[in-house]
Amino acid sequence: MEIIMIVLAGILFGFAVYNILQKRLLRIIIGTALLSHAAHLFILTMGKLKRGAAPVLVDGTENYTDPLPQALILTSIVISFGVTSLLLVLAYRAVKTNGTDNMEELRGNDHD
Amino acid sequence: MIVAILMPFLIAMCIPFIAKFKYRIHTGYAVFVTSLSLFLYFLVLLISGETNILYRYSWIPSLGLDLTFYTDGLALFFALLISGIGALVAFYSIFYLNREERLGSFYVYLLLFMGAMLGIVTSDNIYALYTFWELTSVSSFLLISFWFTRKASTDGALKSMLITFIGGFALLGGLVLLHLVTGTTSIREILTQGDLILTSDWFPLIVVLLLLAACTKSAQFPFHIWLPDAMEAPTPVSAYLHSATMVKAGLFLLLRFTPVLKESEAFFIAVSIIGLVTLFWGSYMAVRQTDLKGILAYSTISQLGMIMAMIGYGTEAAIFAAIFHILNHATFKGSLFMAVGIIDHETGTRDIRKLGGLWKLMPVTGIISILASFSMAGVPLPILNGFYSKEEFFSSSWDLTADRAFSTDFAAVLANIVPYVAVAGSIFTFVYSMYFYFRTFTGKAEKDTAEKAHDPKFGMLASPVLLVSGVLLISIFPNWFSRHLLQPAANAVYGETMKEHSIHFWHGLVPAFIMSLIVVALGIVLYITRKYWTVLYNVLPGKLSGNIVYASLLSASEKQTKVVNDRIVNGSIRQYNAIIISVISIVTLVILFGTNSFDLRNIDTSPVSLPQSLPELAVAFIMIAAAFGSTVSQKKLTAVIILGVVGYGLSILFVLFRAPDLALTQLSIETITVVLFLLCFRHLPEMEQERKEKRSKKITNIFIASLCGLMMMLVGLAAYSQRLFPSISEYFVKYSYKLGGGDNIVNVILVDFRGLDTLFEITVLAIAALGIYSLIKLRQKGGDR
Amino acid sequence: MTNFAILPILIPFLAGIILAFTHNRILLTRRLAALFALVHLITMGFLLYKVLIDGSIVLEAGDWIAPYGIILVLDPLSTLLVLTTSIILLAVVWYAPSSVSEEQESFYFYTFVFLLVTGVSGAFVTGDLFNLFVFFEVLLMASYALITHGGKKVQLRESIKYVLINLFSSMLFVTAVSYIYAVLGTVNMAQLAERAAASDQPGIITTVAILLFFVFATKGAAFPLYYWMPHSYIVPNPVVSALFGALLTKVGVYSLLRTFTLIFHQQPEIIDQLFIWVGNLTMLLGVIGALASRNIKLIVAYNIIPAIGFMLVGIGIFNHDGLSGSIYYLLQDMIVKAALFLLAGTIAAAAGTSDINKMGGMIRSHPVLGWMFFVAGLVLAGVPPFSGFIGKLLLVRGAFEKGEAVTVIIMLLTSLLILLSIVRAFIRIFWGEGEAIKQQKRHNARRLLPAGFLMLFTVFLGVGAEAILPTVQQIADYLLNPQAYIDLVLKGGR
Repeated sequence: MEIIMIVLAGILFGFAVYNILQKRLLRIIIGTALLSHAAHLFILTMGKLKRGAAPVLVDGTENYTDPLPQALILTSIVISFGVTSLLLVLAYRAVKTNGTDNMEELRGNDHD
Repeated sequence: MIVAILMPFLIAMCIPFIAKFKYRIHTGYAVFVTSLSLFLYFLVLLISGETNILYRYSWIPSLGLDLTFYTDGLALFFALLISGIGALVAFYSIFYLNREERLGSFYVYLLLFMGAMLGIVTSDNIYALYTFWELTSVSSFLLISFWFTRKASTDGALKSMLITFIGGFALLGGLVLLHLVTGTTSIREILTQGDLILTSDWFPLIVVLLLLAACTKSAQFPFHIWLPDAMEAPTPVSAYLHSATMVKAGLFLLLRFTPVLKESEAFFIAVSIIGLVTLFWGSYMAVRQTDLKGILAYSTISQLGMIMAMIGYGTEAAIFAAIFHILNHATFKGSLFMAVGIIDHETGTRDIRKLGGLWKLMPVTGIISILASFSMAGVPLPILNGFYSKEEFFSSSWDLTADRAFSTDFAAVLANIVPYVAVAGSIFTFVYSMYFYFRTFTGKAEKDTAEKAHDPKFGMLASPVLLVSGVLLISIFPNWFSRHLLQPAANAVYGETMKEHSIHFWHGLVPAFIMSLIVVALGIVLYITRKYWTVLYNVLPGKLSGNIVYASLLSASEKQTKVVNDRIVNGSIRQYNAIIISVISIVTLVILFGTNSFDLRNIDTSPVSLPQSLPELAVAFIMIAAAFGSTVSQKKLTAVIILGVVGYGLSILFVLFRAPDLALTQLSIETITVVLFLLCFRHLPEMEQERKEKRSKKITNIFIASLCGLMMMLVGLAAYSQRLFPSISEYFVKYSYKLGGGDNIVNVILVDFRGLDTLFEITVLAIAALGIYSLIKLRQKGGDR
Repeated sequence: MTNFAILPILIPFLAGIILAFTHNRILLTRRLAALFALVHLITMGFLLYKVLIDGSIVLEAGDWIAPYGIILVLDPLSTLLVLTTSIILLAVVWYAPSSVSEEQESFYFYTFVFLLVTGVSGAFVTGDLFNLFVFFEVLLMASYALITHGGKKVQLRESIKYVLINLFSSMLFVTAVSYIYAVLGTVNMAQLAERAAASDQPGIITTVAILLFFVFATKGAAFPLYYWMPHSYIVPNPVVSALFGALLTKVGVYSLLRTFTLIFHQQPEIIDQLFIWVGNLTMLLGVIGALASRNIKLIVAYNIIPAIGFMLVGIGIFNHDGLSGSIYYLLQDMIVKAALFLLAGTIAAAAGTSDINKMGGMIRSHPVLGWMFFVAGLVLAGVPPFSGFIGKLLLVRGAFEKGEAVTVIIMLLTSLLILLSIVRAFIRIFWGEGEAIKQQKRHNARRLLPAGFLMLFTVFLGVGAEAILPTVQQIADYLLNPQAYIDLVLKGGR
């Protein structure tokens, strides 16, 4: 099962990168969102999957899934959310100000 | 002692205040007094015979950098030269520089230079020597560009700085190697370990680096090109830095390390050839110049080449002659520069084509010039010190095969050729000396110069007169100078006491004298017939040399770099990402397989049993489909909603994999994100307008994306399968309730075990909120005031 | 006592929060900001004194013993760096009122600055890899807010690129942390070091380490990952550029220095060569960018890159002199880069343009500015007796000791080209015939004092190197011997 999940995460990563390499800002942002999903899936898999109960202590249960990756993912999800929201607003402002969402038209030069 | 070395720096700090009163008293007097007292101090040291004094002051011992001053014969010789000429130049500059000029800056730079130069010659510590070395380059840069509004000045300054800094940085490398090889930073101790250095693997590199330093500083071919351009400096500076002292620092460096270097035959070959080529090329080019200072600049180059060649010979006689010539050159070249300064001052031009007949108008300057230039030419007269040292040069060239044994054929052949090259190179020296004197002082005067030109006030003449009397004094009492000044210096260089040298005008009809006569005879012929052979310069033009290389390098450093840089940093985020991601993926994959780290040993590779795992597989399939869908979707709304499916799929996976907290969080955050997306996307252009992408680009992107996905996948698999250690999570499971007081382990980790993470995770959110707020509300036209 | 270790984070954190509440009262905010910066500087000075006298301070946050809780470590290296950070913070806060508009100041400018410093200090002191990620995010988020602050067209354009690149590397960072967790079962750096040293399969550790190398190298703007940096660093206000130039890339270098000396030095034959060659290329390409630029701010920004190259090479050399050189270079470069950005900002403000070809003769109206810029250039090129020289000398020595002559030649060549880029700018700006220059004497002194304050430190780090150098050399030895750090943090309480 881990192999499948790692492969899934890898595929998502690939899609994310493909989107990031596009020229429309919108696509790129979609790519970043996919990227964080892929990363979180990777983290989850790196603890072992399904090798025990959910990490909530219950009397009599000895085996729990690894709680640490879950905690790390939680932190990361929240941070990603913050970044994504800022990026969205930034994209909106950048497109409004510069009049284009094509990154190839947002190259600029030395003196402006 | 340290007061003496640091005095120029201390006075330099006071100069800005002294310069405030420049209209009442010329700032130059302060500098004159400073250098004169330094000169007297060193003179007292010399006369009292108190040489070989060592003073150590700790500075940065952890680096091996100490201020250790050591005055042996060589150091004293140079110190006297520096402070003596310094005093004369300072005095001369008082009359040369108008009070309207920025005297404060000028004298600060001059004192910095003097202090640095004294530091070079007296330092025993290699890093201290290096520090002072660079300081001379910097102060020279500032002095050349003293008239900073002139482009020629600043260009010349930049050129001199760059070229001398090539040498400076090479010197650093060479000195560090010496330090590593010998384990000490003291020059005296380094010199005692000659064998260690000579047999070290680093020795060739050491020689190359030290030579690079010496050749750039002492304007040797092909690095000489900075010196003529440095003539944009005020004339006192040219006289002081660019003929008498700074350009001799390179020679000094080689002299310092001669006890070790002279043993090496490669050193002999390299230095002799460089020196002789420079001697020839400098004198050849000097004849072509029309600017008086240009002639003197090339003449300096040529003379430095001659001294360099003698250092290369490495024989007793040659070293002695080299030191002798350093002294003589300082006297006659210094006075010539000052004479040119006077001519420039009086006639308003330094163009030799406009000058002539000054003899009648400026007799005193004329006498100074004739003595100095004839001395430079090596005219055989007993009152011209230049002749004496040139004789020594010839005789050391002639005796080279006798004085030194050579092990390689090439060196032996070279030693046999040397005397002829020496003569050939010196002929042009004679020619340009004559050219300099006769074109300026004889013939017809131009009308407008004739009216105003006359000898200047006594003050301005005092320094050149004193220097020229130096020429005479040395010629009349050569052995007094030899015994008290030259011999101790030569002994210090040679590392052992050499036999006493007595200098005589007449040795009989020895080879050296015959060589002199040949030079004079051929020189006269060439001078008279120069109209007929100067066409040669069209065949062998002066610009042939390094100048073209320098100019093209300099312009390349501006233009080619821009071409290169614009290609790399072109502002396209797509290209940046493409490069970054490919590099990361490729290198990581190479390392993964290169270290043989990919294996699936400990991973559960058993086939997945369908019925149980169906939910996971289904979700995984849906997520991939959704990711694909949002990637190809042409409608922004569709893309966003399908993107949401990926997020929700992830939260279902979280549920399936027993991570309830994650699932909840993911679910809520995904919902908010989709809403946010929709809000912002309303304002973004539709995607249908997307321009068609080139096919090749598309394929490249797909390739990069697959590569990166693959890399993450493979590294992930490898990492997962090589679990080398138990996880620390067991601790959390064990103590979550006992110490953390909570059943939900994830929550306990978040708020307790790793509370700091959570605190700052919230901080990130808070900053994001404030950032978004400012982003929306704060809209300025110009950011900074 | 051990609670002192939280101070480098806590002071700017609280300051940021308090300043968020006073944001509408600009005068008060300015004064408070200056006060906090000063308090921070003094406290950090005191901490360094404490650490040097009594030894390193380790704080187990929430009293959870290592390696289970998060560890904050004030060892000489991190303390020196937080002290340097506080020096720059003070200069920046001092300079800000003369450069940032009041409107900007009222929009939480100082809050962002202090929170940025919180993140930076946190990254320096934390002993936990995931926590390092969190602090990276704090400083990045603050930097996103600052780079867009003001909302000019160019800012928005460049900041998008900046955010995107950093976002990618952040995601790579967490993933790499999870890989390491899978292999070594922990995220505590000391324990990672201990386990990595004990493992018999260095290959996989090296592979994951390479991913982290790229993450940090992207933040640190090393070749070939530096493209995003120069243009994005010059678009915000010069104060912000100074903060970025001095701190952000250096956090990346610090992380490399820390993790690759402590944890990932299992296969030196791969790692060292990687550092050395990435360093070499970083030096050369960075300085090419500097030579190619006509924009004074851009010249300064590009000059960050070769300095990064020097530090990377030092890490790759991995001997006493090499590491001392890297650390010394790191310390002094933070200060001199901050000073240079402030000077460049002042120049651009005084001239009314950033194009050096449009300036000229400014030495007459701005002599102090000119000479400070000149000296800063000498510092950058490593001319003695200034601070750049000390670092460079150590690096050259270290490289020769390791037999890396080519690297030495590249280093020396780079120094020469750095010198050319700065001196050429100096000549065009300050010498020559001055055209009519827009004179702005108004803020001159207030702008020059903070820069002068920083220049004083650089000069001191050169002439008075003996005050710091022995400590730096001890740090190098300490980095060469990871066991000291492991013992310090884990205290045998495993």
